[in-house]
Amino acid sequence: MWFKRRNLLTLFILCLLIYFSMRLTEFDLSKFRDFRNMIDFLSQWFPMEYSKLPGMISDSMETLAMAFLGSIFGLIIGLPISFLAAWNTAPSKYLYHLSRLVLSFVRSIPEIVFGLILLTALGLGPFPAVLAITFHNIGVLGKLISELVEASDPGPQEAMKAVGSKNWFAHLFSILPQIWPNVLSHYFYRFEVAIRTSLVLGFIGGGGIGQRLFNDFKTFQYSSVSLDVLIIMIIVICVDLLGSYVRNRVI
Amino acid sequence: MLEIKDLSVRYPGGDQNALTDIDLSLSQGDFVCILGKSGSGKSTLIRSINSLQKPTAGEVFWQNQQLSALSEEELRKVRRQMGMIFQHFNLIPRLTVMQNVLTGSFGYRNSLKNLIGLFTKEEKQEAHQVIADVGLENMADRRVELLSGGQKQRVGIARALLQRPQVMLGDEPVSSLDPGTSNHIFSLLQQMHQTYHLLSIINVHDVELAKRYATRIIALKEGKIIFDGPPDQFTAKQFEETYDSRQAMVQKEPATN
Repeated sequence: MWFKRRNLLTLFILCLLIYFSMRLTEFDLSKFRDFRNMIDFLSQWFPMEYSKLPGMISDSMETLAMAFLGSIFGLIIGLPISFLAAWNTAPSKYLYHLSRLVLSFVRSIPEIVFGLILLTALGLGPFPAVLAITFHNIGVLGKLISELVEASDPGPQEAMKAVGSKNWFAHLFSILPQIWPNVLSHYFYRFEVAIRTSLVLGFIGGGGIGQRLFNDFKTFQYSSVSLDVLIIMIIVICVDLLGSYVRNRVI
Repeated sequence: MLEIKDLSVRYPGGDQNALTDIDLSLSQGDFVCILGKSGSGKSTLIRSINSLQKPTAGEVFWQNQQLSALSEEELRKVRRQMGMIFQHFNLIPRLTVMQNVLTGSFGYRNSLKNLIGLFTKEEKQEAHQVIADVGLENMADRRVELLSGGQKQRVGIARALLQRPQVMLGDEPVSSLDPGTSNHIFSLLQQMHQTYHLLSIINVHDVELAKRYATRIIALKEGKIIFDGPPDQFTAKQFEETYDSRQAMVQKEPATN
């Protein structure tokens, strides 16, 4: 039955966790009593200020380019590593463990930390931000794709072995076609995430529409902020649409 | 041509041998069907022949070469002389019939040309030839997941033929097909056997099929050979011994319920 003592205990522990987390985060809905302030504040966002639109668009392009480069480099570097980091395709135990270690390491460091380090070392601008996104995405995509490789059907691989093909041919030709749609899926999701990340990296000096949003916000130009936010939403939606279009074409 | 000497296989962690002291000598022209219950070692025996399964003891000799003594490169050369077809076809999904068949030539290539998917005109012609051999000439550009089970196995056979094999290994190639299709596949295998002068070694569950097509039947039980001879000597008695049952022999009569 569902109603067991063990389940009750789980429920109790869950409630306890929620309670303590709310304490720690000062979760307090009564603060919404001053909801009028929020409306006052948001009303300053409108009407939107269109005069800076050309600059915003060129900054958006920069953001898109950052996100695209960071994620595509992540894919290009992460894809081969993922084959080393999957137990069924790793050429040796040593490389398997090493590559997994490297992937966990770069994945465990958030982009913002890479960003802070690289922006300090290389100077402000989008280039360090691209590198920061790349590093993190190598870790994430490498890990995700290695899981796809491990979950792929071993049958075709065995067939390639029986044909007498070299191991890496067998891996490449029997696994890549199987996992390709999912690889693209993961890639486009990471591209979308990279857009949001590049906004945050913009806040710390990485350029693009993120930096503009941050500056507009800090200088109280809320009517520009609203347009920045709108543009960002449009970009994210467009990339999402592009992603599903490409996926449907491939599958 | 193919000699198996005292071959024993035990899987890691297993408490029993999958195969025990198998001695066999097979030559070109033999159409061998291997019979036996599930778990009798049929699959292990087939997979030992192209060294997908390494022996625990004993040896497999192909044209006087001891398989376990070969380098990886030499083993590849042996494997490409042995086509193999599988119960679940093991085709590469999302690729076309043509692309799948062309992978049969991978044993002959080392260069980067494979990587960019470049195949020579001769290879494509040869692939068209084997696709026609198996009767799929109109489907060369169709993706394999759109094919029926029988058609998929034909692709598997075409891929194996593109290796220009001397041996055709079948690991229960018709076990996931209906009886009519199974018969078609076997008659195709027999045809290819004759056209390309093969040694064919096929695992099969259906005794009738084996008796119809084989020139030699080998029955396994608990990893040992309990029968090895021409099909007409495989009688009800041998059947009973192989499968521990008599009822299946009368399966041709219509079921009463």
